[in-house]
Amino acid sequence: MSDTSLTSASAKKPDAVSKKGKTPAHQLSPRAKMLRRALRHKGLLFGLFVMSIIVIVAIFAPLIATHDPYAQSLLARMKPPAFMGGTWEHPLGTDALGRDYLARLVYGARISLLIGLIAATISACIGTFMGVMAGYFGGRIDLLVTFFINVRLAMPVVLVALAVVALFGGSLYVVVSVLGLLLWDRFAVVMRAATMQVRKLEYVAAAQVLGASLPRVLFKDILPNVMNHLIVIFTLEMAHAIILEAALSFLGLGVQPPTPSWGLMISEGKEMLLFESWLITIPGVALFFLVLSINMLGDGIRDVTAPEGRN
Amino acid sequence: MYMYILKRLGLALLVAFTVSAISFSLLFMAGDPAIAIAGENASAEDIQMVNDRYGFDRPIVIQYFEWLGKAATGDLGNSWYFDLPVSDLIADRLGVTMLLGLLGMSFALLLAIPMGVAAAVKPNSLIDRASLFISVVGQAIPSFWFGLILIVVFSIKLGLVPASGSTSWKHFILPTIVLGYYATPAIMRLTRAGMLEVLSADYIRTARAKGLSARKIMFKHALRNAIIPVISLAAVQMGFMLGGSIVVESIFALHGAGFLAWESISRNDLPTMQALILIFSMFYIFFTFLADILNAWMDPRLRIA
Amino acid sequence: MKISKLVLSTAVYLALSAVSYADKASDTVNMAFLKELESADVYFNTAREGLLLNHSVWDGLLYRNPETGEYEGNLAESWTWINDTTIEFKLRQGVKFHNGEPFNADDVVYTVNFVANKDNGVKSQTNVSWMDHAEKIDDYTVRIVADAPFPAAEEFLAGPVAMYPNEYYAEVGPKGMAAHPVGTGPFKITELEPGKHFVLEKNDDYFGGPKGMAKVSKIDIRTIPDMNTQIAEFFNGTLDFLWNIPADQAEKLGAMGKFDVVNAPAIRVGYITMDAAGRFDKEGPMTKKKVRQAIYHAIDRKAIVEALVKGSSTVIDSACSPVQFACAQDLPTYDYDPAKAKALLAEAGYPDGFTIDFYAYRDRPYAEAMMGFLNEVGIKTNFSYLQYAALREKRAKGEVPISFQTWGSYSIADASAITSEFFTGGDWDDARDPEIMEWLTTADKSTDKAVRKDLYKKALTKIVDEAYWVPLFTYNVNYAMSKEMDFKATPDELVRFFTFGWK
Repeated sequence: MSDTSLTSASAKKPDAVSKKGKTPAHQLSPRAKMLRRALRHKGLLFGLFVMSIIVIVAIFAPLIATHDPYAQSLLARMKPPAFMGGTWEHPLGTDALGRDYLARLVYGARISLLIGLIAATISACIGTFMGVMAGYFGGRIDLLVTFFINVRLAMPVVLVALAVVALFGGSLYVVVSVLGLLLWDRFAVVMRAATMQVRKLEYVAAAQVLGASLPRVLFKDILPNVMNHLIVIFTLEMAHAIILEAALSFLGLGVQPPTPSWGLMISEGKEMLLFESWLITIPGVALFFLVLSINMLGDGIRDVTAPEGRN
Repeated sequence: MYMYILKRLGLALLVAFTVSAISFSLLFMAGDPAIAIAGENASAEDIQMVNDRYGFDRPIVIQYFEWLGKAATGDLGNSWYFDLPVSDLIADRLGVTMLLGLLGMSFALLLAIPMGVAAAVKPNSLIDRASLFISVVGQAIPSFWFGLILIVVFSIKLGLVPASGSTSWKHFILPTIVLGYYATPAIMRLTRAGMLEVLSADYIRTARAKGLSARKIMFKHALRNAIIPVISLAAVQMGFMLGGSIVVESIFALHGAGFLAWESISRNDLPTMQALILIFSMFYIFFTFLADILNAWMDPRLRIA
Repeated sequence: MKISKLVLSTAVYLALSAVSYADKASDTVNMAFLKELESADVYFNTAREGLLLNHSVWDGLLYRNPETGEYEGNLAESWTWINDTTIEFKLRQGVKFHNGEPFNADDVVYTVNFVANKDNGVKSQTNVSWMDHAEKIDDYTVRIVADAPFPAAEEFLAGPVAMYPNEYYAEVGPKGMAAHPVGTGPFKITELEPGKHFVLEKNDDYFGGPKGMAKVSKIDIRTIPDMNTQIAEFFNGTLDFLWNIPADQAEKLGAMGKFDVVNAPAIRVGYITMDAAGRFDKEGPMTKKKVRQAIYHAIDRKAIVEALVKGSSTVIDSACSPVQFACAQDLPTYDYDPAKAKALLAEAGYPDGFTIDFYAYRDRPYAEAMMGFLNEVGIKTNFSYLQYAALREKRAKGEVPISFQTWGSYSIADASAITSEFFTGGDWDDARDPEIMEWLTTADKSTDKAVRKDLYKKALTKIVDEAYWVPLFTYNVNYAMSKEMDFKATPDELVRFFTFGWK
């Protein structure tokens, strides 16, 4: 069974940041080794750092924002940020309806994270289920799942997402569900391969013989072995979902206003791109760092948990 | 080998068929197309008339097979918006998208392969870090934002290139960069990883031991082997790029198939949308098929499967 | 798929060609459409872009002078009402179509009979369905007969009803006309790529008439879907004329001092419509007059106009545009008064407000501002921003409790083009008030101007009293052009290419 199309489409080979440890590593336990690698991995640390800031901001949004993100003031529209000659009343200025930009940015962090998390979770569930079924049972089920993965890969994601949102109306739920239903392929590919590998291991075969149920084998034997792969793909797909939501919003078909998503803020600021470019730059930079940190986190986790893939 | 090709081909056709069935039912599920055809300023009377003409009340399965039967003969129906044959519309616009895809992919390969190789040869060097930087930035920067920034800098501020349109080669510079950059990170990473793997392989060590020149080892042995997966990734990415050119085409006013797809979505032009989804998925299927054959040809072990 | 065509188009794009900088020297105006025009045949598109081409490439029998608002003869030299339903026209002699075909009564008869026939599927039925048929009296005398008394006939004959060459149209049909348009107008279309590119050249043999000869020799129109890109091209000098620029961007362009930015009123009006008839929810809050009045009080329409819509827009209380005939302006109104709105909501039984689905299809910031005002008085909103077609369908089915809508009246300067469209019991009538229906149907059949004015005023007053709609504001259009260009904006949203000139 050849599935080059699947693996080559989806698997991004590890980007190794090779560093040879100087202290004798063989004296440490595997867990300590991993920690050691993690602490030396600059990309991972950077990703973790930026990501934590964004998560903290999202959690403590009500404490950080000095204004209501929904409160409009048509008399105070598009006030520039403090560093561009504005006042500290609105540190990041106000948007086209006079809403405080800082407040919208910090509440927007919640929405963007939420979109990424939920979409990736839906994808992870679908993909894991299909991948495990294919890998565990093999045979016809495997053929069927592989076929579905092929079909899914052949559907132009942006186009289909746009069409569905355009036809069914955009809302947080629709966007999240559509993205969740479209991004499961990589999970399925990797879970399928991983399950096949694990199934060949003797102890799983033994467990099967002993009559362990599928969920039991899944949760006890398979998932722990592929957790690191799953986490890496989860981060990738989360970043993917966030970027796609922004693209949908850019084309006017994302989350509905007045919800402050970063994609929506970019789309609303786009109109004044040539005149008030900070309106698009602020959420654009925020989105950039969010996606960057998620990706670096994912890469870092892969490097740290699967050192054999490094060189 | 022929058996293998035949099998892959059958599978590819089945995939195309399923994609078209799914998208057809999806598109037709969403409400009354008559209003879409009649347009924004149409009155109730106009809409009733359209409904009478097209007969959208028939079961969806019948409508689908009718469409499929015609599509098989090359008749993709008429655009509801332009009232022109969809095949003409697409033929007219696919050229610019394919050109953009080819240019974008060439740009990506020309940037990604040399940098990936250089990065692998000297890990942790300046160029390794630069390539890492380019690839992480490329993954995180939204293409619409990147495109608009390029217009501001290179077209308005510096006046070097036109902002939009497709009448000369200069018009393609910015869109190529934006679209190409989209595919760069994955290719660069794969090249680098592949090179690292090959360079540490036994036969390269043997070659070194035999005293072959570094350059010869690099290009004759290492790169040749590392490039195999890159080619198949590029083929797949090509399929993705053709579908992903929507944003780029809309910003740079390139009247390509991606832009047509987006406009058709906002106009509820179902026959055009339907045909474009089919064609974009065919592209993807074609390129992955190509990649499979290429791989099988280069690596005979795969053919037996 | 036509492979040869594909190869060819790719080759064409590859070919080198210089960027053309157009200006006074080349006597070419470069401009852009934001959307792709579906068909250049004026009867088979419903877009404003199509109307612009219509006015410059074709002629109607009549012409409405945008300065005086009076009708003048265009392809007809004179006209008289024979009775309530019949008009007789004396046609201008010696007029030729762009393909050399002479214009005479046969062309009028063919055009009218073709478009009035429903089977031919003209897209804007409102523009043509009032006509029953046309009869030839002699070569230059023709009668048009309406289905029923139709007082707005002159307006339509001066606007969307363009005259086509009978022999050519019979031969090529709507598709041929869309590919190679032929009219009598001051410009002829010499190059056309459907939806993408139109080149108009001056018609040197134009008969003149009330439009006069074109003053520039060429107009090159591309489709550029992104306004930012259009402005970028404008900065670069590769576009000379921008239209429909959003208010904020127009303001900034004007402030730069390098361009002429002109604002003109438009016939389009914005309004909020509410489910007063209870089609969506029989017992819903929108069926209660006090709630609707509260909404009227809650929205600061003046602030929206001043901050967002800007330009020459004004707040209205009439369910029509002030420039339209019979659109009375001395109507009751409701001030912006959030406290009173809250009080009214409490009286209606909603002291804590309620939550409702709010719909819109364009001008998202305006809709957002309105929702902001509603939130302030305790009405929570779930926003649905839909494609026009989708919202239109939902509304027709009575599934929309409250929505922000606009209507452009096909540029027809008569209140019947909006009020009668929405208050005579059709699918889009959210009020379904029998009294208003009665008044409007009587008014639409009457040819007595005083009677019509009186009935419309009654209807418009009741619409405000019952707060079926919250009429919001008139729209406006912003144009920007290079300082070399000469263009006078008119209040009907029409860009008449033949008035383009150089300073």
